[in-house]
Amino acid sequence: MDSLRIPILKIGDILIASIQVSLHDASAVQFKDDLLQKIYDTRARGVIIDLTALDVVDSFIGRLIADIAAMAGLMGTRVVLTGLQPAVAITLVELGLELPRVLTALNLEKGLSMMQRLTEESDDGPA
Amino acid sequence: MAQPKTAVVRSDLDIVIARTMARDLAKAMSFGAIDQARIATAVSELARNIFLYAGTGKVTVKEIDKGGRKGIEIVCEDQGPGIPDVDLVMQDGYSTSRGMGMGLPGARRLMDEFELKSQEGVGTKITCRKWKSS
Repeated sequence: MDSLRIPILKIGDILIASIQVSLHDASAVQFKDDLLQKIYDTRARGVIIDLTALDVVDSFIGRLIADIAAMAGLMGTRVVLTGLQPAVAITLVELGLELPRVLTALNLEKGLSMMQRLTEESDDGPA
Repeated sequence: MAQPKTAVVRSDLDIVIARTMARDLAKAMSFGAIDQARIATAVSELARNIFLYAGTGKVTVKEIDKGGRKGIEIVCEDQGPGIPDVDLVMQDGYSTSRGMGMGLPGARRLMDEFELKSQEGVGTKITCRKWKSS
């Protein structure tokens, strides 16, 4: 069965992916592969993953998101996670998945301004 | 009281089906949004264990009543290889190669009651419950 593809949008040098449906494992892994390839193809400097619509994030998806952030980081791209529902934040911490190294913002708008700050800061560094 | 509902788990798609079934019942029973998420997440962890370690199994959810207090009961059964050392798998961070070491202890934390029975070569049965705060 074909796995469901999450659309990844490009605005300037930032990629935005909004996960709107409950992901099964194979489509989540497909999303990771698609996103990393798209980062490489577009030379994106930042990625925002919006989870506003998700009402369950289990340990598999939580771990995968942490992996995506780490892998994108290795490629020189920042990842900001936005829109976690209160119930999702609570269950993630109770599960023991606090995602300590993943940047987060309350919503997409705040995530975008965070990303702009982050990419501007890195402008000051060596090219 | 609603009839028990069962979902057969034999693929990763069935994990989503099982947790949606549990959430729908929790919602119908007027569990709050956070408890709905806890129940759905626990079922997701347990159904994934069935898929990863036993290949196939089933998840049953039902409404229960104990002296007027309502709750949801989730039973996950498989005829897989069984768990040789139950205490070990209930430890945080313990994992075989494919898991990530938080499925069982994580699910236990999300629920109010958690019982695990397993016999090597026979299978595993996990029963867990969440009670409505009255």
